[in-house]
Amino acid sequence: MKQKLWQLLAALVVLTMLVPGLAGCATPTPQVVEKIVTQVVKETVKETVIVEGTPQVVEKEVTKVIEKEVTTVVEVEKVVTPTPEPVRKVATFAWTQEPDTLNPLYTNMWFSSIIQQLYNCWPWEFDDQNVPFPKLVTEIPSMENGGVSEDGLVVTLHLRDDIIWSDGTPLTSADFVFTYDMAMSEANTVSSQYPYYYLDTIEAPDERTVVMNFAEPFAPWLATFWKGLLPKHVLEPVFEAEGSIDEAEWNLAPTVGCGPFVFDVWESGSFIRFVKSEDYWLGEPKLDEIYYQFVPDDASQTAALVAGDADLGTFPPLSDVPILEAGGLEIITQNGGYAEGWFFNFRDMASPGARDVRVRQAIAMALDRDAINRDLLLGLTEPAETLWDGLAAYGYVSPDIEPWTYDPDAARQLLEEAGWTDTDGDGIREDADGNKLTLIHGTTIREIRQDAQAVTQQMLREVGIDLQILSFDADLFFESYSNGSPAALGEVDIMEWSDCTAFPDPDHYYWYCDEIPDDENPWGANYFGCDETLDELFARQIATINTEERTAIIQEITKYMHDQVYWLGLWVDPDYWIVGERLTGVKFSGVTPFYNIMEWDLK
Amino acid sequence: MTRYIIRRLLQAIPLLFFISVILFMLMRSTGDPVATMGGRRTVRSEDRARLSRLLGLDKPLYVQYVYWLIGNDWAKIDTDGDGVPETPGDRRGVLRGEFGKSLVSRGREAWDIIWERLPNTLLLMIPAEVIIILFSLAIGVYSALRQYTFTDHLITAGSFVGYSMPIFFIALVSMYVFAVNFKRWGLPYLPTIGMFDPQVGKTPSEVARHMVLPIFSMTLISIAGYSRFVRSTMLETISEDYIRTARAKGLQERVVLFVHALKNASLPLVTIVGLDIPLLLGGAIVTESIFAWPGMGRLFLDHVSRADTPVVMGILMLISVAVVLSQLVTDIVYAWLDPRIRYE
Repeated sequence: MKQKLWQLLAALVVLTMLVPGLAGCATPTPQVVEKIVTQVVKETVKETVIVEGTPQVVEKEVTKVIEKEVTTVVEVEKVVTPTPEPVRKVATFAWTQEPDTLNPLYTNMWFSSIIQQLYNCWPWEFDDQNVPFPKLVTEIPSMENGGVSEDGLVVTLHLRDDIIWSDGTPLTSADFVFTYDMAMSEANTVSSQYPYYYLDTIEAPDERTVVMNFAEPFAPWLATFWKGLLPKHVLEPVFEAEGSIDEAEWNLAPTVGCGPFVFDVWESGSFIRFVKSEDYWLGEPKLDEIYYQFVPDDASQTAALVAGDADLGTFPPLSDVPILEAGGLEIITQNGGYAEGWFFNFRDMASPGARDVRVRQAIAMALDRDAINRDLLLGLTEPAETLWDGLAAYGYVSPDIEPWTYDPDAARQLLEEAGWTDTDGDGIREDADGNKLTLIHGTTIREIRQDAQAVTQQMLREVGIDLQILSFDADLFFESYSNGSPAALGEVDIMEWSDCTAFPDPDHYYWYCDEIPDDENPWGANYFGCDETLDELFARQIATINTEERTAIIQEITKYMHDQVYWLGLWVDPDYWIVGERLTGVKFSGVTPFYNIMEWDLK
Repeated sequence: MTRYIIRRLLQAIPLLFFISVILFMLMRSTGDPVATMGGRRTVRSEDRARLSRLLGLDKPLYVQYVYWLIGNDWAKIDTDGDGVPETPGDRRGVLRGEFGKSLVSRGREAWDIIWERLPNTLLLMIPAEVIIILFSLAIGVYSALRQYTFTDHLITAGSFVGYSMPIFFIALVSMYVFAVNFKRWGLPYLPTIGMFDPQVGKTPSEVARHMVLPIFSMTLISIAGYSRFVRSTMLETISEDYIRTARAKGLQERVVLFVHALKNASLPLVTIVGLDIPLLLGGAIVTESIFAWPGMGRLFLDHVSRADTPVVMGILMLISVAVVLSQLVTDIVYAWLDPRIRYE
């Protein structure tokens, strides 16, 4: 009985599957048409023939087979071929970090800021040479065109008259003022109020003009302001109703944007989908859709790219580069201004060796940085000489800098001259008071840094320096002074991480004397020390609007810091992009990576 | 039994309170959530000062715990940085059903973030656990009944190999073989990452296809271990006197093994499975990371690395409650399976 029931069920299932199929295979209704066809027919005709053997000519009926054109009625099957839909161009980007938010004011994540270029907009962007070009503005403000006042206190933006949000609302100066207001409101827990707090006031005399008034000249304005705009018509009602935009839906679902793509859906933990904006004021992008798929594991990202499940990836483990290239993927590096280096602590609590400039210079000569780049980074990078190497093309690096070369003998000699000798024969030098030349090196737990620690420890040992290596989780390493950060407390003599200036601007804020952390300023960023000369140079450059003058100051900073070895570069740290075979027209910028996303296409 | 259950539930309250204190202190010692905020550079000092003040991170640890527990809508906070608290707080605290707002996705409720991922984790972990239990029992019993045969030795060797392999190795190898290389060789292949292909959509077949490799990776090691355990307990049980008596009384071998022997042999397994069940809520950190499965394990990893106390505490307290309740359920099931056990 059970068996029969199963058979009946199976039959029903098969029938159910067949019916749609049969319906799909149904004979189309035939069409009746008239058609001229050539038919082979037999026709009886009278022919005049000569009777054989006689001279008689007679008429005779003869049946002949001939071809004849006739009009006939036939039934023909009408075959309707559906017009093929255009293939949608859908690209998938493998993203190793899921954004925390899509509101430009609320994130410090690079992986979030980059995505914003699809659905948000900047008044100017930067091309693959990191040169700015106007986007929302008619021209980049400058002293020449009157956009920047002579004293540098007023910067005026003139907006294009054809810019709109994706819902058709015009994008005006009011959106700029609103963005500023939201950044500066204490009711909003925005990630950073920099650089908006440099503004004294901001005005919108008309819909096309934004006037930024500074209390003091602020040279880095071009590289730091307006990294994303907020739609006033969407978020102002939220702010007025709730007193904050912290919980605005737009932060996680920015359905109204001003970029070439429009946000569609964010599936938590899985992907974010963007579709092309058909009303984008610069035209339609070539790609129809872009998926950002979250792949937190580096090896999985490599597997997905090699398998063709993703068209773009970022920052692969360098050991995976051969696998990726063998899989037909292209690795593109782009200067984003970052460089990995050692920051030296020369504060009072640092070890005597770290406070001695000759020891720091000896360290610079004792490290074979070419070997580090060759062996640990597979030759894919090169040593960095200053933190401004990424801006060398702008002339900010002093031409008088002589790069440190690997010379352990010179290092030993310098240490001897400085009074550091190995009196007890244990391989570690001491000073006249018997203090060991021991330096404590601290960094985060990234694998490449721990590898570098081990290698550099060995190199320094060869010249008689004892390097004790420690590693910390990033959030612990950079904790506040009051919560025991080893860097803030000065418990480490050398700190290593990757950093950059306000790229593509040369400004930096670490070495200001008032940034040294203490009980009154537990979050101070100057873990290194107060050098009055350096402090004065940094304070002067930020307020110098004249390009030539400012370049001269920055060159002086680079030379001074290089000679004092306040920062010792290990390797240049570019952005790495992995581009799949399908993607074409791809270029990257180090500032606004997706600046030409409209030209990206799929084969 | 009822009194026993009520007593256990009442004992759980101070236990959970104690657990919450320990976990909170540990969480707040994992670093400053506004130090880097996931960025490539540290946050500027003035922003860190402002955010610490606005998010209550500048308060002493015990004050932060009290706010987490009972909220801060009875207190005022200094939003403008003038040193004078003037704005009423808006948090209601865990005891009033609010785990707080995420420090990473500021403005979002921690519980909403957790609730988004919980079903994905259960979808992966429950089938995995069922497969582990079924296959462990089957392999363990089969191996026990064929002790010291060639099959038994083969299963034993396979178990040792499977158990000693790290999960990330199994996961990556299976991904490269069945996803990357099968595709390259023109064979039917499985997907590499994700819960479903976004271009296809979240269909049952699509999700099932994406579940294969993660479940395979997770279950292989557990089956290897649990099957050995079942084998061991089964061997112990089938040598008991009552089993000999059952056979002597003429019962069918199938009844002797699966009614009398297996029931008693599975009692220790109940304890182990009981410990596993609450851990299902925590997901599988390594597996979810490698296969980009959007579950609780990945959520935990992402947010603990950003020192997001509200979300991480929500996950940990959820698991703690589940552990307490599952232990109670295990004890009850144990008593039901074994009539000799009685609770006062």
